[in-house]
Amino acid sequence: MAALGSYLLLFTFMVAAYAAAASVAGARRRNSRLIESGIGAFYLVAALMTVASGVIIYAFVAGDYTIRYVQRYSDSVQPLFYKITSYWGGLDGSVMFWVFLLSLFGSVAVRVNRERHRELMPYVVAVISAVEMFFLFLMIIHNNPFETYLTQTPTDGRGLNPLLQNFYMAIHPPTMYLGFVGLTIPFAFGLAALITGHLDDSWLRAVRRWTMFSWFFLSFGLTLGMIWAYEELGWGGFWGWDPVENAGLLPWFTATAFLHSVMVQERRGMLRVWNVTLVIITFLLTIFGTFMTRSGVVQSVHAFGDDPALARLFLSFMAVVALFSFGWVIYRLPLLQARHELDSWVSREAAFLANNWILLFSAFFVLFATMFPTITEMINGERLTVGPPFFNRWMTPIGLMLLALTGIGPLLAWRKSTIENLLQQFLFPVALALAVSGGLVAMGVRVWSSGICFALCGLVFGTIAQEFYRGANVRRGMTGTDLFTAMVGLVGRNKRRYGGYVVHLGIVLMFLGFAGEGFSRDEQLLLKPGEEATVGRYVLRMDAIRVTDDGQKQMVTAHISVKDTDGADLGRMYPAKWYYRKHEEEPTTEVGIRRSFAEDLYIVMPAFELADQTASVEVHVNPLVNWLWVGFGIMALGTGIALLPERALSFAAARMPADAVTASLLAGALLLAPAGAEAQHVDGPASQLQIFSKEVKDVTRKLACWCGGCSKLPVGDCACGHCALVKKEVTQMMDEGRDEQAVLAHYVTPPTEHSKDDVHRGESGHVLLSEPPDVGSGRLAWLLPYALGLLGLAGAGMAAVRWTRRPAVAVAGGPSTVVAPELQSRLDDELRDLD
Amino acid sequence: MTHKTIKVGLTSLVLSLAFGGLLYSTMGEATEYYKHVDEVMTQPGDWYGKKLQLHGYIVQDSILKRKNSLDYKFKVHSNGHIVDATYTGVVPDTFKDDAEVVLKGTLSSEGFAVSPNGVMAKCPSKYEAKPGAPTS
Repeated sequence: MAALGSYLLLFTFMVAAYAAAASVAGARRRNSRLIESGIGAFYLVAALMTVASGVIIYAFVAGDYTIRYVQRYSDSVQPLFYKITSYWGGLDGSVMFWVFLLSLFGSVAVRVNRERHRELMPYVVAVISAVEMFFLFLMIIHNNPFETYLTQTPTDGRGLNPLLQNFYMAIHPPTMYLGFVGLTIPFAFGLAALITGHLDDSWLRAVRRWTMFSWFFLSFGLTLGMIWAYEELGWGGFWGWDPVENAGLLPWFTATAFLHSVMVQERRGMLRVWNVTLVIITFLLTIFGTFMTRSGVVQSVHAFGDDPALARLFLSFMAVVALFSFGWVIYRLPLLQARHELDSWVSREAAFLANNWILLFSAFFVLFATMFPTITEMINGERLTVGPPFFNRWMTPIGLMLLALTGIGPLLAWRKSTIENLLQQFLFPVALALAVSGGLVAMGVRVWSSGICFALCGLVFGTIAQEFYRGANVRRGMTGTDLFTAMVGLVGRNKRRYGGYVVHLGIVLMFLGFAGEGFSRDEQLLLKPGEEATVGRYVLRMDAIRVTDDGQKQMVTAHISVKDTDGADLGRMYPAKWYYRKHEEEPTTEVGIRRSFAEDLYIVMPAFELADQTASVEVHVNPLVNWLWVGFGIMALGTGIALLPERALSFAAARMPADAVTASLLAGALLLAPAGAEAQHVDGPASQLQIFSKEVKDVTRKLACWCGGCSKLPVGDCACGHCALVKKEVTQMMDEGRDEQAVLAHYVTPPTEHSKDDVHRGESGHVLLSEPPDVGSGRLAWLLPYALGLLGLAGAGMAAVRWTRRPAVAVAGGPSTVVAPELQSRLDDELRDLD
Repeated sequence: MTHKTIKVGLTSLVLSLAFGGLLYSTMGEATEYYKHVDEVMTQPGDWYGKKLQLHGYIVQDSILKRKNSLDYKFKVHSNGHIVDATYTGVVPDTFKDDAEVVLKGTLSSEGFAVSPNGVMAKCPSKYEAKPGAPTS
């Protein structure tokens, strides 16, 4: 099974290389058969990846623990659902899942566009294949999910991390991946347009939907992450500016910018360089996000892993992509000239430009602040960090500016707005914003950022309402129907525009949720039985702490009665701690949440003393937080409307919105389903943490455990008693001042040169090294896979060039073929014009 | 140089200066040094009053909690250096003997005062199963 998987990956790499080579060669030779064969190979990659995915899922379900990855991320008692989701539970599998999704998306994108954008197709295939090749290469040489144990095979797996055995966490990664991977498609089309020089707007039309689709999944993934953090982690918030979260947010900013600037190019032929650049940056940021979280370059309380070799591979790939892509942009600058100049700063295109600058600035700011510790360490060796308050201080005004532009942009006219237009357009939204501000002042709201946010929400809401009302009114006049029917028809006729407004409405609601944070309060209390405490408008009384057992786990539950300050009973809440059998060291924290649209009462019990029945509780009152999730539901509805096929309006304008509503309500219901009410928070057991310095860990990772029962795991990572002794011994040696080479030499040199009584020394040379030494002949072992990979790439490149040259010989042979390409080219141009 | 280039150049210059200035001024207040206990405790005087994120491991049997309160006293060590720490508030589940922690706060001659919500139990195995972890 494992061998089949490994060979499948190798074969897929070769097929992807062929797809890239054949497509490029076919395009340059104008040989349609070669192009077709390249596309065929491209589809084959998708088929092979599907089979490979089937193989790994089968291995998980069947419990094939000879495969390391299966053994590390599943066990026999895991429910089937989590056995399947273990596929993307770790790095190796998630890389494979990435390639699988990319191959599927790529195939669909090529299938859909192969007739309409014929001239771009070979290069789209080549670019996507090249990206696939990188990830396949990564798997083959570094992270093979089909790697097996060389020696003894464990009888059961270690099981997926309990934190990931959660509904939201099971679907959160694939959702993020759908977004990340989907953004490769616009990049491939953009690059293909640059290479072929077909830089009219047709490539934009091809990628608009893909970007919107990927953007939606990215938003969905980020929202799922927020819900998970809020309901499961028990710290009362939903966004902590952790590098892992930021990694997903970076491409979201640039993708949002692109979705807006596309409109400027379509309408006015401006921002052409900008759009291509945005597509490239967005793709680079998706790769960078993966690099940041997987390579250990950024220290985080919960970074995924620490792998310098992986970091180098990713950095090289990003450098090549950046050089190649921006090289083409510079080369094609003459073709990317704007058709128009900016007429006025009071115009829709100027608002879009401002929105783009702010979004791009946000991306770079978040990138900078996330990388700040790494940057300062590189510059002066000191690791300086910046925390959430720093992010919030910057991102709050940036967010407010974006919200303001969401309200202002749609009110401005293209090209230039006259004073008259401005008055007519701005009157109602500004009046609404002022009314909201007045109301807030009257109510005594003194949190300036939230106050401004509410006023701006009023402005954006006014804008959207006015746009809908005016459009529907015009349509009613034309069709003679009632206002509601006219409004539905209006949305049907211009789905992108009005779908976009619905998305904006969702954003407004989400901003209400963000603004609510300004009024949140949290208190830490020590509650004794019968004691009452007041938090905000709630009076909490601790009734008792009860211990129950359901056979699977022991549950320590606090029973807390909640009343409001007027004495009205609001029910009971039950924050708890659960201790699962065999996992007593990993108690799960169960959050008690009392939800309402106005505010959530959120209680966590981090500690308790059974003897005197006291509990330390953390009480959070989070106003408006649920509007975040509702806002996302509305956003999903808007995206659904905008994504509906253009042709739908010609025959189904009336039917369409009803379908969309149903679909979005379903999505919303799914999202808001109380599946996560049983919030669980599992922390890793403290007992697993080893107290050894980084140097000792680094050195011992280079030795393989030789106790005979640990499958030759690196000593640094192995938890057996034998390795603990070795680590202690290494610590001692390093304390004595021996360097890494000396320590390694101590273990790998044949024992005759050392005293016989040293029991921890290995018995024979390099067998003990967990990886080949990076000197002399050992270096060859390191170089070999890289050399083979490069050879593969070079081979593919040479094949492409060679096949490309062949027609030159043919040209010399007969004049008829000289004419053929020209004719072909003219025909292409004419056909394109017809399109 | 055309009129337009000058305008664009000047605007970019002013904007980048403004952003740079703002960034620098806010950065000063927001930055914290990320240090291991041993790095700080070799020359503790140098670090008095500075905002720190202190990385280390909790010394076994050192956690003391005042009864009926949320006041904690404990010791944190790394590479043979130890520092006393005080904290008032709720601690995470993983806060126990030998746990790897990152503490936010300031150092003084009386020890390390952890700021509110400043205890983070570092847990690298949270998302990536720790290699070598025993089978359960």
